[in-house]
Amino acid sequence: MNDKELLPWLEKATLGDESAFQLVYQATHQDVYRTVAFLVYNKQDIEDIVNEVYMHMWRSFHKYDPNRPFRFWLHGITVRLVQDWKRKTWRRIRLFERNRQMTCEQQFDWTDKAVLQSEMQHELFSLVRQLSYKLRVVVILRYFHDYALEEIADMLQIPVGTVKSRHHLALKQLRKRHERTGGDVYVH
Amino acid sequence: MSIDKQLREELREAADSMNCPPELYERARQSYQHYVNEKRGKSPMKKRMLAGIAAVAILIPSAAFAASYLADDIFGSSSTIEQHGGTQEDYQEIEGMLQAAKGKLTEDEFQEYMELTKQLMQLKLKITDENGVKHEEKLTKEEQQQFEQLASKLAPYFEKINGTAKP
Repeated sequence: MNDKELLPWLEKATLGDESAFQLVYQATHQDVYRTVAFLVYNKQDIEDIVNEVYMHMWRSFHKYDPNRPFRFWLHGITVRLVQDWKRKTWRRIRLFERNRQMTCEQQFDWTDKAVLQSEMQHELFSLVRQLSYKLRVVVILRYFHDYALEEIADMLQIPVGTVKSRHHLALKQLRKRHERTGGDVYVH
Repeated sequence: MSIDKQLREELREAADSMNCPPELYERARQSYQHYVNEKRGKSPMKKRMLAGIAAVAILIPSAAFAASYLADDIFGSSSTIEQHGGTQEDYQEIEGMLQAAKGKLTEDEFQEYMELTKQLMQLKLKITDENGVKHEEKLTKEEQQQFEQLASKLAPYFEKINGTAKP
């Protein structure tokens, strides 16, 4: 279902039509979930954020400009909520420490088996997961969602120059690590 | 293969293996229900708060009004004496008189005083035409007696109010 077909359903859903909600959820949940799962690794956190994205979607649908693609708006909400979540985590240092411990101890518990498997099969993907968040979010928006660098700048509310340098840095790191492990990537 | 293309491919394949857990649907549905309830009826708590605020907003001015106009208890409103040749100033004067009485008499005395004054004023209004001219002949014999009784009952209060009463 494309954006235009989805819009009337979205509007109905915000007015309280539950079948419209179901339809919107079915049409968008994989995309939202995957976007969040590329950026955040804790299973519980991913689910919390996905839930938040939907709450946000209903509450601020009136702010959505129908002249712009719906998915751009949706990804904007998603990225913003992921960033909010990260900020909160940093603020609550103790919780952060606990999270870090959990990350170390239970790495194999919370990581999806499927993700682990694709990490083994896809070397570049596993390298992307090792990038810092700031670089990773640019890579995901550029290569998973196919946004132009200008659009990414708009979505992240940072200057285009910053996006360009992060994009450049991310690719540089990926190439370097990839070559070190013997990947067949051509530098161009 | 260029790194761009390879990245796209690998992210796509990795994404295909990441599936949203089905139990998340129920959670999103509950949040959605919560949103709908919030939007539709507001919460019962909010409703009660609004009702409370509305009640206070109505009570405050009427309480203030009742406290400031004792004369309204007797005449209903200033328009009553305006129909009998009185003016706003007259009304204020009566009001001042009543306020003075309230200050000098005890609560019980004041209530009695108000009741008598009310009856007296009813009779006075009856004999006064729209130009303020008195026509005592309009009263029946019984009413004339009542008038005199009221006046004599009120006399000690007037003395008290005007400070002429002996202790």
